[in-house]
Amino acid sequence: MLQLINISKRFGPVAALDNVTLSLRRGAIHGILGENGAGKSTLMNILFGLAHPDTGKIELDGRRVRIVSPVRAQRLGIGMVHQHFKMVESLTVLENISLAAARGLWSPGRRELIGRIRAWTDKLHWNLDLEKPVADLAVGRRQRVEIVKALCTGGKLLILDEPTAVLTPQEVAELIPPLRAVAAAGMTVLFISHKLAEVQKLCDRITILRKGRVVYTGAINELDAGQIAEKMIGARLKFPRLTDHQEQPDNAPRRDSGELAPPRLELRNVSIRGSRHGAWPLLNVNLSVRSGEIHGIAGVDGNGQDFLIRCILGQLEPADGNVIFGDSPDSHRKTPGTRSGTPLGYIPEDRLREALVLPLSVQANLMLKRYHTSPFAWMGLCRFGRWRQRSAELIGQFDIRCPDAQTPVGTLSGGNQQKVVVARELGEKPRLILAVNPTRGLDVGASAFVMNQLLAARREGAAILLVHSDLDELLAISDRVSVLYNGQLQETSWPDASREQIGKMMLGIA
Amino acid sequence: MMTTFHSSSPLRRHAGRFSRLISAVALLPLTIGTCGLALGLVLSGLALAGYPPLAIVSRWVDGSIGGIYPLTNSLADACPLLLTGLAAGIAFRGGVLNIGAQGQFLLGAMVTVGLSTRWLIFHSAPPVIILAILAGTFAGGLWALLASVLERYRSVPIVLSTILLNFVALYVVRAILQGPLQAGGTPAPQSPQIAPAYWLPVFIPFTSFHLGIPIAFVLAVLFYALNQRTTFGFESLVIGLNPGAARLAGIRVTRKQFLVMFMSGCCAGLGGALQVLGVTHFMTGSFGNYGYAGIAVALLGRLNPLGIAGAALFFGMLDTGALRVEESSLALPHAVVNVVKAVVILLMLLLSAYLLGRKLRTRQVDPSPPGDRGSDKL
Repeated sequence: MLQLINISKRFGPVAALDNVTLSLRRGAIHGILGENGAGKSTLMNILFGLAHPDTGKIELDGRRVRIVSPVRAQRLGIGMVHQHFKMVESLTVLENISLAAARGLWSPGRRELIGRIRAWTDKLHWNLDLEKPVADLAVGRRQRVEIVKALCTGGKLLILDEPTAVLTPQEVAELIPPLRAVAAAGMTVLFISHKLAEVQKLCDRITILRKGRVVYTGAINELDAGQIAEKMIGARLKFPRLTDHQEQPDNAPRRDSGELAPPRLELRNVSIRGSRHGAWPLLNVNLSVRSGEIHGIAGVDGNGQDFLIRCILGQLEPADGNVIFGDSPDSHRKTPGTRSGTPLGYIPEDRLREALVLPLSVQANLMLKRYHTSPFAWMGLCRFGRWRQRSAELIGQFDIRCPDAQTPVGTLSGGNQQKVVVARELGEKPRLILAVNPTRGLDVGASAFVMNQLLAARREGAAILLVHSDLDELLAISDRVSVLYNGQLQETSWPDASREQIGKMMLGIA
Repeated sequence: MMTTFHSSSPLRRHAGRFSRLISAVALLPLTIGTCGLALGLVLSGLALAGYPPLAIVSRWVDGSIGGIYPLTNSLADACPLLLTGLAAGIAFRGGVLNIGAQGQFLLGAMVTVGLSTRWLIFHSAPPVIILAILAGTFAGGLWALLASVLERYRSVPIVLSTILLNFVALYVVRAILQGPLQAGGTPAPQSPQIAPAYWLPVFIPFTSFHLGIPIAFVLAVLFYALNQRTTFGFESLVIGLNPGAARLAGIRVTRKQFLVMFMSGCCAGLGGALQVLGVTHFMTGSFGNYGYAGIAVALLGRLNPLGIAGAALFFGMLDTGALRVEESSLALPHAVVNVVKAVVILLMLLLSAYLLGRKLRTRQVDPSPPGDRGSDKL
């Protein structure tokens, strides 16, 4: 139905797509697999008119088409569900779909539109409350709205860009039958992911991209998981897992050993009042992090993680309860800098806004927390010699790939940027570490690096609180796991509890 | 900027450290090229209109730097521009959008005039001069802080409050000039003249090369060192570029921004003080537009104190040189100077926007989440 022929796209010296040829069949669910940076997003953007290929052509139903803009893509029957939803939160579901379905000044009438929506939701066995504001919907529901929106405006091809990134395992499982129904209705589904298991469950055919090239196209069942992963990654990467550590007695989790280290961070009955009356974003949270352990906080985004983090950082005042660092009760920490006795390493979720100053050099970013302390400053003057020396050490130790320490951080790749953050936050051997989605947006290699660094810090006796929305990574390195659901924290019996049990707790059904 | 500091003096070598600042736009050659282009454009426009461009240029050069009098006049005109330029420059660099140099400048001038004519008369001049300058400086600083306080406690954006406070300052100054500070014998808002004993000393007799000029240029060098070498300079740069990261790195952002704002206001206030003591020796209700021009100077100088000194000098030369062209038989209207300034600023903005846009486009190597970019480099 849709054919991409010899598509190439270069960004400066980088070939994002190199002679990619792809053909999609009607009614098929086609998976696109690849690491971060393999070219998946570029391919999708070309299909949806957000980027234009340098060479090659696109044929739809045998006719050559030029997809110059998203509007054009929609007219051609291509609908896309972006990873980050594109909706007006204050409008209702119906209004959002109506917005997307509008063509210039003309928009379909309310009755016609509802008819179109109902036709699809009946097929998918979904029940959407069309009059509800989008703001009141949970993430999984919003995604359904996005999908219905794309179906109503498209009609031939549905592109799903990493649709499962925001979902719980159960929600992912629930997504599969509707997508099959969509395909059965004669539409083609293009499913982009780097999560192998889902693709295997869902897709008929797959295309694997690596460094902008197609390395495999064919039926999914011709390859087993190991072969697919090998094609995706090229060389095999060592991914840290707790099981690896259990083989080495030194690194075994200590929760059963009986000799519990004193907690470095403790939250006792912490509650935070929300802006709306009667809302408690955090309610009676009890939490402790001991030295030498990684305490993982699982949970679907938006269940109170933000409040928990800001409360620990001292940016939010708990309405009730205590935040205790080391031995001293202290609920008034204003900044996450170095408080005497308890240096806190903080790896934020949004490194661009909270951790890095992109126009400044790697060196300046590495020194961002220590610049004013001895020996890096003297009487308010910067001692650049010491800066240079220390940052050279950190660059070596954390394997930051940069031309030199004076390179602006903004020009580095995402993985190297995160390494700068990790080097700064962990390089000074903090006794308490707070890491929030530390591998977000990183490829497998960089993720493994970050997680290995956390494990190394744990071995050296740091207490680590890991708030992470990727359940698999979280389970791989956590000694203890608690689940945050609807502002309430519940400790699991991990590693005795199963992954499914934890998934259910994340949804609040256990 | 980064390319200009490749020389080997330690000060300059370290300049590159954290002043790969703002963008690739921060290039001295580009700035100079822009100024030249602007002049060229205006001159060719004038040539089309029938004015002889070469004659204009030669008279202009003659009138701005040809000889000791034109040169000192240019410097004297650059002095207040330099100080208001510094005021805008250090504030912008620290992420504080202080548009209020005009009001701070006026208040500084008014307080200084008031002290040196009516309120503070000693028999020996130096203490009066020093106290009057200090008071004028702090008046500017405190007036600026008012905007910071409004932002901190009432969430009024500094951009708005400083613009509005300019008008408040203007009318406060006028009211005082028509009240306690009014010169006898006129209904206009005008202060009495400062006694010659209290004027700033002039180094070369019969020129306008007063003490304030070296003070201003030394201050520019000091601010340059402050920016490049001190932890405070580093902090304010980080705050200006990413306040969120600064806060989480443990920098007390609000406190530092108060300090930046105070220093900025002090610069503007000092500009006013030096102007009345060194050049005009009295003030009226309409006392120049140095505050607003300072913003243009700061932008042209790419927020770098040394660049600001150069830009202030350029603007000063434009003004004084234009006087000669105006007086000559060519009868070129003085407004042409403002045209040149405006064209310079517009070209700078245009080029910055163009370069920035190109940079952003190339930056968008892969229009996917930031972490995705170029990870094959890893």
